[in-house]
Amino acid sequence: MTSRPVDDPSSETAGIGETWTRFWFAPADARPLAVVRILAAALGLLLLWSYAGDLKAWFGPGGMIPQDVAAEWRPRFGFSLFDQATSAAALQILFVATVVAFVALFLGIGSRIAALVSAVLWASLLHRGPMLVGPADDCLAVLLWCLAVGPCGRALSIDRCLTERAGGRPLPASAWARVSLGLLQVYASAITVAAVLAQLRGDTWWDGTAAWWLAVRASRVVDLTPLYAGSEYLMNLVTHAIVAFEILFSLGLWFSATQRTIARIGLVAWPLVGILAGEPLWGVAMAIFAVPLAEVWQSGTSRHVQPE
Amino acid sequence: MQSTLARMGPEKNASRTVPSPGSLSDGLQAAATVAISLMLVGLGLAIATNSLSGSSALLGTIKSRLFSPLLAAAWLDLGFDTRLTYGLPDDADHELEVTSRDSPEAEPLSFPGVRRGEQAARWRRLARAIAMGEADGDGSVVAAGVGRGGFDDLGVEDVVVRVLRQPLPARTGAADTGVAEQVYDARVRLVGGELQLIKDEAKSELAPLVKPPTPRDAEAAP
Repeated sequence: MTSRPVDDPSSETAGIGETWTRFWFAPADARPLAVVRILAAALGLLLLWSYAGDLKAWFGPGGMIPQDVAAEWRPRFGFSLFDQATSAAALQILFVATVVAFVALFLGIGSRIAALVSAVLWASLLHRGPMLVGPADDCLAVLLWCLAVGPCGRALSIDRCLTERAGGRPLPASAWARVSLGLLQVYASAITVAAVLAQLRGDTWWDGTAAWWLAVRASRVVDLTPLYAGSEYLMNLVTHAIVAFEILFSLGLWFSATQRTIARIGLVAWPLVGILAGEPLWGVAMAIFAVPLAEVWQSGTSRHVQPE
Repeated sequence: MQSTLARMGPEKNASRTVPSPGSLSDGLQAAATVAISLMLVGLGLAIATNSLSGSSALLGTIKSRLFSPLLAAAWLDLGFDTRLTYGLPDDADHELEVTSRDSPEAEPLSFPGVRRGEQAARWRRLARAIAMGEADGDGSVVAAGVGRGGFDDLGVEDVVVRVLRQPLPARTGAADTGVAEQVYDARVRLVGGELQLIKDEAKSELAPLVKPPTPRDAEAAP
């Protein structure tokens, strides 16, 4: 950058273009994407489990969320394949098909198609009962669409095992993997910024009492109210630490000096924030976004797989 | 961003020459660039227009005309405004109760009841949707559905749907009484095949009759 003439706008444009091209299209290792695939599929199965017990009570014939009610809550252009399931048997079949898609994604069987089918069926399930949806569900939808873009089954998958057994080539780098990883990075930052902006509109996040209000809810995961009742400073510290972490995470992902460190912190901090907030699966989902940038599975020197 | 990208891999000018294996052709790269740019604009609009503070008519129109068909269908038309809590009553846990109106002594259906984790959280969101959507009528639509869903389980066609809100005790306030507050109450019944919802307005929501004190009132006061 320093050797480029500062008064030459075309070189600046070229610099932006190069940066864009390298960020989105430089062939990248598909293994981080494979790890995201496995974790997202596992999270998806957990979230599906939370639907399974009450599926018929909500969406079955005579259920509590009839199709017309769901349609009123749905955004315009929203649609659900589950609307076609008008009998209990059809509902079960479609739900089992969704579970099968997630299992295939987890194991890496027809991974890209499994990711696409999982994303479509997951969006359909959420559209069937929009009022049941939580932040973890939203994040999973994003993760699935990002996975559908890239070769998420090129590593750590049954697809890969079959390729190797057939005398397949070593793991190649892929530009589509880079697109997918780039999308994950953009979404991780955007989701965090949106959450911080939403939080900072409330007084509780400024006066340091938000941690208390999270802790006194009956649905809390851990009861920290005795600690907060004993120390106002601790309550303030936890509140401000959540906001500070979210700001650092959203910004730190974009600088090479801080990227890996902040992503590794995110692997631990996001689940903790989720537990404190009473939304543990949301915390897990956010941690999954940080996985590719944390590079925890790679040795220090061989971070990137070169093109074939 | 640039410094991050610096260690992402191959030669700077690789994209300008013959694509190496794993790279995209120029045409495909151009198409992907357009798609990614549109996605970024769509993401920005989705966040801007799904904010709790509302959005401008201009952004809303642009999004709904150009991006909503794809974003909404894919469940990506999201604001991601996870506020977690503002310490308001709305942020408290909500519960749902469906009872038979004909036989009030019968065991009511309680949700989430003994359910735990995310399964319980979904029931709490459903209860909250009824309580929060009361103002614009959406809540009653959901309540009617919930009531109708309770007919089979209770074996009646006349039920009462209630939403209860658990208290959020202040740190320095009075001790938690643990008594849930009723924030929604409606009767749902089937009459001649037609579903009816009759909402029971809470007394606290009825405005008291207030008139300015007269001189006679002031004289009468001790």
